[in-house]
Amino acid sequence: MSFFNSGTFWFIEGILCCLAATGFKYWMEDRGVKLTWWKWGLVTLWIAFTGFVLAFIGVSIGENEMQAAQMAALIFGLIAVIAAVIVWRLLHLKDKNTANSKT
Amino acid sequence: MKKKTFNFHRRQFLKATGAASAVLGGTGIGLFGIRSGKDPMTYSGTESLQGMTQNFNRSKYEVDTPTYKKVGETSRIDARTEVIFARMPRFGQQWDDEKGLDSLDPILKKYYQDHPEDLELDLHLRKEIFPKMRQDKKKYGDEFILAEAWSNAMGAVWPRGYNKPPEETDFPHPKYGRKQPLELESPEMTAKLIKKMGHEFGSTLVGICKLNPEWVYKHPMRGRGFDTEAPLDVPSHWEYAIVVGTPMEWDAFYANPNYGTSHDSYAKSRIVAYRMAAFIKELGYAARAHTPGTDYDLVVPPILIDAGIGEQGRHSVVITPELGSNFRPAIITTNIPMAVDKPIDFGVQDFCKTCKICAEQCPSGAITMGDKENIKGYKRYALNVSKCHNFWYSNLGNIGCRLCVAVCPYSRKSNWLHKTALQVTANDPTGITHSTLTEMQKRFYPAPDVKDYYIPSLGGKNASYRKPPWWLRTRDFIKLKKEQS
Ligand code: SF4
Ligand code: SF4
Repeated sequence: MSFFNSGTFWFIEGILCCLAATGFKYWMEDRGVKLTWWKWGLVTLWIAFTGFVLAFIGVSIGENEMQAAQMAALIFGLIAVIAAVIVWRLLHLKDKNTANSKT
Repeated sequence: MKKKTFNFHRRQFLKATGAASAVLGGTGIGLFGIRSGKDPMTYSGTESLQGMTQNFNRSKYEVDTPTYKKVGETSRIDARTEVIFARMPRFGQQWDDEKGLDSLDPILKKYYQDHPEDLELDLHLRKEIFPKMRQDKKKYGDEFILAEAWSNAMGAVWPRGYNKPPEETDFPHPKYGRKQPLELESPEMTAKLIKKMGHEFGSTLVGICKLNPEWVYKHPMRGRGFDTEAPLDVPSHWEYAIVVGTPMEWDAFYANPNYGTSHDSYAKSRIVAYRMAAFIKELGYAARAHTPGTDYDLVVPPILIDAGIGEQGRHSVVITPELGSNFRPAIITTNIPMAVDKPIDFGVQDFCKTCKICAEQCPSGAITMGDKENIKGYKRYALNVSKCHNFWYSNLGNIGCRLCVAVCPYSRKSNWLHKTALQVTANDPTGITHSTLTEMQKRFYPAPDVKDYYIPSLGGKNASYRKPPWWLRTRDFIKLKKEQS
């Protein structure tokens, strides 16, 4: 078993994920965006999909299937970028409850 | 003021840490992917003994009736003519161009009279392919020195087969063996024990079923001679069939043709089966091993289906959830009472209907692109065995071809990516994922033009599906003399 298949790897990934989420929260707050539950949901989905794309490309490189890696990068990578733009815009939507609570 | 500064720093720090963590985490996921793709632990079970990789939850997919369908009158297979490995050596020895069909023994003659298309293909092999293959072997054969040496070495440990009929070989030794079978606790406990032993003996897969006598050859070869006229009465002690199976080495199999034959897996499954037969005889029961290469008295795929090992694909090979079709099975017929497994249906029949990748990429055109047909009373995909066999000699290295197994989407490595795809297809009743994944397979995993797999004298380029593994590239290790290369 290598490090990248070990429990230690996933433990460290978990910590990195928490740190990234905390940093993201502060960053969004500084931009005046309040992260509601559904926004967190969207971000989580995007992260899961992007993680899948990165891992797919990685597996294909590891298997020496370069065409699969390129196609995955092209097709799924493009979807991830488009999804990022959509999620970004949705994050900046004024949440109804937030808006109400501010007035 | 001081507090504010601290707050500012803390926020900045957390934001920077978050950004760094995101980059590190993403990189980690990518590296995890690369590692999964390379990991030898995912080489379709090669690493696994003790049943660790027979890990697909079959109970969810169990069905009461097998995934093959009986649609007409059935008849047992006549191994003397219908099994190409029994037919061809005799054809080779007996055929005389001048006498034609009259040079053959009556059984062979009758077969070829009924199947002129097979005669044409078998003659084509003899007259066209063999000479060209020998000629090209001299020119290009050195590339395959290591592959042949590896393959032959893998087949060097090979338990000797039976040379006597079942009544004489299957029981404990009359003098030294147990006189009475041991009394067993229960069929369930025996099945559990047999499966554990199968894994301990080195098998990745183990399954058990009642033996359907229809799967026994009408004129089995071993210990009876080819020319026996009387069809074999299925021995009454062949009540159960235990199926074992081991995977072929991934890289060599995935490269083909023809970087190594299936000898590695043949030998492993053969050893497991003879160990299992010996174990059962020690308990006082009868057992006979039916093993690769050609030492079978039975037709294998339906028995694998009955035992819940997998389903038969369009390429006629059985596909298992753990190894795809990248494995070679052996069977032990026995009378030790055991609880049996149920057949499984994890979606292969639906998948094969539209996939057809093996048929498109079979160099000999042996696999049908059409629908299932009534073959000897069972509905299944047709395979032209003679065409397939001819291609075995149309490439270099040790004879053979496993391309249909290599290109099948079910034969991917056992890493998270391909196992997830398997679970998705197994649970999708709509078929949407079937067509999506088939399309992805075709676009993501390119293959050479089928003609290129042939030797140059037959119009090809000695192509392989994937590059041979580093340890089979002869020129990197052996200094070839000029006249050799
Ligand atoms: S073994 Fe080769 S020639 Fe035979 S059916 Fe498969 S792909 Fe075709
Ligand atoms: S390649 Fe496709 S059609 Fe052929 S056996 Fe595999 S899944 Fe079935």
